[in-house]
Amino acid sequence: MLEPLITNNVVCHAVEAMVFASIACSILGVVISRMSLASIGFTMSHAAFAGASIGMFLETNAQMAAIAFSVGVAALIGPISDKAKMAADATLGVLFALCMAVAIFLISYMQYLGKGLSASSLLFGDVISLYREEIYALAAVSLLTIIFVLLFYKEICAIMFNMKIAQASGMRVQVVYYILLFIIALSVALCLNIVGGLLIFVWLVTPASIASQFCFDVKSMFIVAPLVALLVSAFGVWAGFEYTLPIAPLVALLLTGTFGLAVMLSTKRRVTTRRH
Amino acid sequence: MSIIELEGIYTAYEGDDKPIIKDLTLNIERGEYVVIGGPNSAGKTTLLESINGLVKITHGRAAVCGFDVRRSGHDVRKKVGYVVQNFYFDPFTPFTTQQVVMMGRYGRLGLLKRPLEEDYKAAERAIRLVGIEDLAQKTIGTLSGGQQQKVMIAHNLAKEPEVMLLDEPFSNLDFSAREFLQAILLDLVRGGTPIVIVSHAFDGLPDIRIHLVVMNEGRITKDICCPARAVEDIVRKSSLKQ
Repeated sequence: MLEPLITNNVVCHAVEAMVFASIACSILGVVISRMSLASIGFTMSHAAFAGASIGMFLETNAQMAAIAFSVGVAALIGPISDKAKMAADATLGVLFALCMAVAIFLISYMQYLGKGLSASSLLFGDVISLYREEIYALAAVSLLTIIFVLLFYKEICAIMFNMKIAQASGMRVQVVYYILLFIIALSVALCLNIVGGLLIFVWLVTPASIASQFCFDVKSMFIVAPLVALLVSAFGVWAGFEYTLPIAPLVALLLTGTFGLAVMLSTKRRVTTRRH
Repeated sequence: MSIIELEGIYTAYEGDDKPIIKDLTLNIERGEYVVIGGPNSAGKTTLLESINGLVKITHGRAAVCGFDVRRSGHDVRKKVGYVVQNFYFDPFTPFTTQQVVMMGRYGRLGLLKRPLEEDYKAAERAIRLVGIEDLAQKTIGTLSGGQQQKVMIAHNLAKEPEVMLLDEPFSNLDFSAREFLQAILLDLVRGGTPIVIVSHAFDGLPDIRIHLVVMNEGRITKDICCPARAVEDIVRKSSLKQ
């Protein structure tokens, strides 16, 4: 897609992947952060990690397994919370531990069997060895995320405001909530190859947190968060290639640094200071 | 036919062995001003949330606005306003008063439908009615507790509900704001919309016949009509007896 602008195929693929991953994750991150559901992102990223390990263990498509496992975990969150009478955060904690255990168990077992699996690509991503199909899939999920937000904008706003009040006003909040979980699972699983299971959390939470330092309304957060993620990621890819640095961790560091800067420059902080 | 008909209902939270509401029967007519009193943990809030289907009714028959609550809770909630108790909006909540009031219309609109001119007008009317025009562009998290309470009342008025449920609506309001709210509620009642209030503050009730329901341990211990001035005394005596 960006070939006319970037002649080097590897760099081009890396930039495209980062751009699409940034768009999908940071838009979802706005909803996740506002609903205090950061642990959903955390659990999903590890579910994708566990799913990919299962896929590798069974010698099938790791990415498809990651998607299937993430979607399965997403589908379990609601019912487990309801049936076990547990707070969603506690359920997520249990599922997170399960996912980590499955992943570590399988990776260790495969090493014991001599399959010689390296978990580093699953943990930290490998943005320079992506297939074109994977980038198309990422583009599709970014588009799906944008369509989801545009179609359900009023429902998303109401849920972000207060889930119980939204439900009391007669909205079908469960439908939107489950679609949201499904898209998070899909996005996280597809981004696993780019940024890895450990770092994807940064894409889900940090751009939205940066946007929240400057934006006073949701609409602008939905625009600023992906824009910030996109610019920082593109810069990170360029810097990674230019100075031969690991790209995904570099982008994660840059995003975190930008967040620190945003907190210092936050217009909201200035407003609060003036008041006192 | 009563607008709210509850017949021998039991309500339990999922996973709980003991029901919160036990064998409760209650009828509420259009234009009634209903006050629910009783000690803490009597099941008053659970009763409100059983009426609009937020809490699951396990046994019995419940019909509200012509809908079976157990089957069509979602349709019931479209027609029933509910001002919840103890809400908290953090200072960085990125929604203005106007947006929050508008959200009151979203349930009626349904999935994927955009608000129309009439929805914006209904929200504006609700804002005017509650007298919060000056707060319309302020974010809700920056408002005081009393102002937030007014916004939530406007949120529910924008819905143009057929029944209005209010859980401790006066808790954050000063005297003049209480009087103002009472006047709004009285207008609703006169227009035929029944209101059901859970409250511990009975001073300032409008001078009309009140349908008083006293609860204790999930059951109704008194269900009478009485003058407003008698409410506090009846609730106190009923609570002391138990």
